[in-house]
Amino acid sequence: MAVGCHTGNCIHGSRSRQFEHSPDPEIKMSTFCSLSFSLSFGIQDDHRLSTSELERKYGTSISEGLSSAKAAEILVRDGPNLLTPPKATPEIVKFLKQMIGGFSILLWIGVVFSWISFGIQLAQGAESPFDNLYLGVVLALVVILTGIFAYYQEAKSTNIMASFSKMIPQQALVIRDGEKKELPADQLVVGDVVEIKGGDKIPADIRLIFAQGCKVDNSSLTGESEPQSRSCDFTHENPLETRNIAFYSTTCVEGTATGIVINTGDRTIIGRIASLTSGVGNEKTPIAIEIEHFVYLVAGVAVSIGVLFFIISVSMRYKILDSIIFLIGIIVANVPEGLLATVTVSLSLTAKRMAKKNCLVKNLEAVETLGSTSIICSDKTGTLTQNRMTVAHLWFDNQIYSADTSEDQTSKYAQPFDQSSPSWTALSKIVTLCNRAEFRPGQENLPIMKRVVVGDASETALLKFAEVILGDVMNIRAQKKKVAEIPFNSTNKFQLSIHETDDPNDKRFLLVMKGAPERILERCSTIMINGKEEPLDSEKAEAFQTAYMELGGMGERVLGFCHLYLPENEFPDTYLFDTDSMNFPTSNLCFVGLLSMIDPPRSTVPDAVSKCRSAGIKVIMVTGDHPITAKAIAKSVGIISATSETVEDIAKRLNIPVEQVNREATAAVVNGMELKDMSSQQLDEILCNHSEIVFARTSPQQKLIIVEGCQRQVRGVQGQFPVLSKLCLYSFHSGAVVAVTGDGVNDSPALKKADIGIAMGIAGSDAAKNAADMVLLDDNFASIVTGVEEGRLIFDNLKKTIAYTLTKNIAELCPFLIYIITSIPLPIGTITILFIDLGTDIIPSVALAYEKAESDIMNRRPRNKRKDRLVNEQLAVYSYLQIGALALGAFVTYFTVYAEQGFLPSTLLGVRVNWENNAINDFEDSYGQEWTKYQRTYLQWTGYTAFFVSITIQQVADLIIRKTRRNSIFQQGLFRNKVVWVGIFSQIGIALILTYGLGHVTALNFTPLRFQYWFVAVPFAILIWVYDEVRKLFIRRYPGSK
Amino acid sequence: MSKETKKPFRQSMTEWRQFIYNPNSGEFLGRTAKSWGLILLFYLVFYGFLAALFTFTMWVMLQTLSNDIPKYRDRISSPGLMISPKPDTALEFYFNKSDAQSYAEYVATLRKFLESYDDSKQSQNINCTPGRIFDQNDVAVKKACRFNLSELGQCSGKEDKTFGYSKGTPCVLVKVNRIIGLKPEGEPRIHCTPKEAGMVEINYFPPEGLIDLMYFPYYGKSLHAHYLQPLVAVQLAINSNSTKEEIAIECKILGSPNLKNEDDRDKFLGRIAFKVQMIE
Repeated sequence: MAVGCHTGNCIHGSRSRQFEHSPDPEIKMSTFCSLSFSLSFGIQDDHRLSTSELERKYGTSISEGLSSAKAAEILVRDGPNLLTPPKATPEIVKFLKQMIGGFSILLWIGVVFSWISFGIQLAQGAESPFDNLYLGVVLALVVILTGIFAYYQEAKSTNIMASFSKMIPQQALVIRDGEKKELPADQLVVGDVVEIKGGDKIPADIRLIFAQGCKVDNSSLTGESEPQSRSCDFTHENPLETRNIAFYSTTCVEGTATGIVINTGDRTIIGRIASLTSGVGNEKTPIAIEIEHFVYLVAGVAVSIGVLFFIISVSMRYKILDSIIFLIGIIVANVPEGLLATVTVSLSLTAKRMAKKNCLVKNLEAVETLGSTSIICSDKTGTLTQNRMTVAHLWFDNQIYSADTSEDQTSKYAQPFDQSSPSWTALSKIVTLCNRAEFRPGQENLPIMKRVVVGDASETALLKFAEVILGDVMNIRAQKKKVAEIPFNSTNKFQLSIHETDDPNDKRFLLVMKGAPERILERCSTIMINGKEEPLDSEKAEAFQTAYMELGGMGERVLGFCHLYLPENEFPDTYLFDTDSMNFPTSNLCFVGLLSMIDPPRSTVPDAVSKCRSAGIKVIMVTGDHPITAKAIAKSVGIISATSETVEDIAKRLNIPVEQVNREATAAVVNGMELKDMSSQQLDEILCNHSEIVFARTSPQQKLIIVEGCQRQVRGVQGQFPVLSKLCLYSFHSGAVVAVTGDGVNDSPALKKADIGIAMGIAGSDAAKNAADMVLLDDNFASIVTGVEEGRLIFDNLKKTIAYTLTKNIAELCPFLIYIITSIPLPIGTITILFIDLGTDIIPSVALAYEKAESDIMNRRPRNKRKDRLVNEQLAVYSYLQIGALALGAFVTYFTVYAEQGFLPSTLLGVRVNWENNAINDFEDSYGQEWTKYQRTYLQWTGYTAFFVSITIQQVADLIIRKTRRNSIFQQGLFRNKVVWVGIFSQIGIALILTYGLGHVTALNFTPLRFQYWFVAVPFAILIWVYDEVRKLFIRRYPGSK
Repeated sequence: MSKETKKPFRQSMTEWRQFIYNPNSGEFLGRTAKSWGLILLFYLVFYGFLAALFTFTMWVMLQTLSNDIPKYRDRISSPGLMISPKPDTALEFYFNKSDAQSYAEYVATLRKFLESYDDSKQSQNINCTPGRIFDQNDVAVKKACRFNLSELGQCSGKEDKTFGYSKGTPCVLVKVNRIIGLKPEGEPRIHCTPKEAGMVEINYFPPEGLIDLMYFPYYGKSLHAHYLQPLVAVQLAINSNSTKEEIAIECKILGSPNLKNEDDRDKFLGRIAFKVQMIE
């Protein structure tokens, strides 16, 4: 079978400018080109068959349909008419992944060791073997609970999506057994005869056998928003181009049609694209990479210290069993058990915040991905623009006027142009009357701009424009009764109607006409200037041409308007107008003016684009639209800044051919057709050398190529330093983080390929939403930028959280190391450590997620995936070796508790073996008193509690210093983040409860503590704060030093 | 990204070597010698400061402590009991009455334990008034009360050098843990009961296992240097038909309302349990 879309067609289409009322059908093919390459080979040639051949092929009859029995048979053979949802990971696998991911594996090792040592101790008949059993159980519980928690968080965010994709079961009108039946669409089988009317979704791939004024919106398939007409004629070799096939999931906009189902479910075109999508691999999100890196780092430290001290303790002649118990302690102390849960909570808090700002995040980790985005490939229609044609300019009385294009225009006073000219009055009449669009009834209370209109995009724009200025258009039309009408068609390229006037004294008919400006002008002999008809001489025609070119050059769709009052004597009020024979004049009319329309940018977008620019994010526009329109919009939103030029602009300015222009342009408008012939190297070169790029006339398929090209880019160099441009071509390994927006089904591969795919919530197809990581609820580009801001903030704040958490690791680890080396009574127990990690520290670390940005994060470049790690050497070293070392305070508390009870520090050194001996019950302290084992153990627990309390106190200071990384706390404001204070109070509150409330529960190893011990660590906490302030001062004074 | 290719092994080796020592910049492990020096110097100063700080705070803390008595004694409000000799294996005595070697260790321990109670060592100690708390709060130099070994009777080791082990009547000394300031009320005495009656007869020295109140209170190691805690000897006359059997014995301190002996968690608070097994 021949592939119908040959290059000739495409290029031909791309070069023709299009200001006509309706785009040339050939042009649309270009967008379909690459799609057909990939998919057409699988399609049968049903579009070529005649009706009777079809009936034979599918064993059906057009009048009778299939028999129910046969339909059931085929349904069993082919399965229901549904798209197989993408294979989801089984829930249990997701759950198990949470159970063994991250630190869990280390903790499981701890569990196993605890139980092994329990087994050994039990076999040896030791006194209290159950301690280790409990410890194992507690550790296992910790792993399982945090696993369940993470799983629950994940599931919650996935559920948001699930509710999204839930659709109302679709119904289809089918002829079966000679009767019309309403059936759920998933029951359709090949050979069914279905009827479609305007507003329906096409329930399967259908070969049309009857159609009346049928138009379909293929945008979900091709991205082309212009409705295409459908008939039963075989018009093209390629099944994707021919007009007699309608595709599953597209919408019938108007008209009716009957057709035979030729493909169902996954065998439909849409189904094939969906399967194409699942072929594109899912990349790990940047934050997942960061967390993995962090886990490796901490696990590395844990394992190496653990093994090191295992060796040390064995060589210090500790029993192997004891050494194993030490190992467990070291692992538990080193692993921040609560951290991953904290990260999840922080991310979901941000996700929630983003959802409020219309960014719905499907995958929690995508929250941060958005923050590290360095390139955004954005759609134009609907994302950057309002997705509705709006009148932007008027030309009458030889002058161009601008109209208001903002989203919320309400009254005529908002329109800035002069409405007093009689020419405007005439023009407004034509705009009102020569228009078939109507408001759907019952929307009187809605703002005009939000009302639903039946009619095509341009007519809608005109109707709303008229409604805003004149008010109640429907009433005006009713008063000026329409007596004849010729609707728009592509041969005439004009629309005409004849009306009575509402003036009872004026019996003339008014003929109004609108259409492609040059065609309208051809039919005119006069032109209205200030309400007076003047002959259309060459000078005035010239003026018209200039205005037409100017408006066209702004990428706007221009329409011409003219009218004629039919002389009363020739056309009395009884005159019968016949539109077929055209028994009325259609030439020598009076030209009144031009109106030009554009889909205007959303008002928030220019600001958002400039924010992106200052944030070092490159915004690339990818659109199926014409380059001129694309460029105009790009300029108006700032994607192409006012000062930059494309090669073509330079050529035009210098009046030289394009080829002679050296590569000095910073902006580029790349046509989809050029892109098709480009090697990936050429594409890289373009992406590298231009800071402002617009891809026009691209097919959704080409988006994938563009995304891949962007992902190869080195961040930060493109276009800014032309000298480096050569360089960036050769260092592919550091890819940019690319965000892509999309709505069509065809966008799904690109959405999936992108580091973060953003689907449109309103215009987006389900397939796009499924493939995306994020859904933009309001389809607004500006929302992406707020998302970026949130993403960057959370990255910064996670850094703080991690630094906060890591710091106390040293305070938890040192007791074990010192215990092993100097044989003092154990300063803090494993269970107590878990109470810090999973008790007092959780809320404060989450509280850091609420911290405001230190400086304008949108003035920074996006983070470099290679260099700006979540946890880097400096952070780890500073946390571990400097702030962590200040855990000293806890040791002071510990020694104080022992000394005040009778054990001076000198007595404690080296006592471990006797201290822990159950048989020694007359252990002598520094004052000659004798202690039983239990009395010592109880004192040891008091020591744990004191150590715990001190760590808590120092963590308060740690929390405060972690609020900022560069600025002084006083610059940041101590009280701005209220949640941090909630964290501090919760921390102290939990510690109080554990110490005094649960101090009598032996299993928890807490004892009530003398009140003064709470304050021993306070000077050290203050020292932490002062030290960190000094460090931050140095950082601010001498930035960049190592 | 997926486009990323694995670096060849050779290249990564070179990079590693570069990292370990970079001859161009003179960097060793990513830093120059000067940089490393500065870092080391910083940490030296930093940790030096921390060490000084730690030492200083500890010194301050120690200054607040008294040399004589600990600040708090709430963790030891009631004394534990302990026995001598104390076998290595958790308080279980195994010996052969006719094999001197089997109980030599016990005897040696007892002998050593009683050394400090020898009359020659007690020359400074005074004879106190029996039955009364010996309060010396007002006295700067605290006197220790004399504990005559003869009070331990057959268990004093004077007549029977084997403390009865050779005769099948082994002695075990029970002592009350020293606690500063502890003043027992009532008439404290040690009382031991075998788990199963009839296996053993128990004799106490001093009679009835009485602990004289004159040995209390204790004023601590530094003030009360020659203090000797009172002992109660428990002589177990094992019935001849009970040899080879393990006899469980529990001793408790009785007769004093402020000395606990029934704590759930502390098995040694005012009580002690041990086992004896003798073969002939």
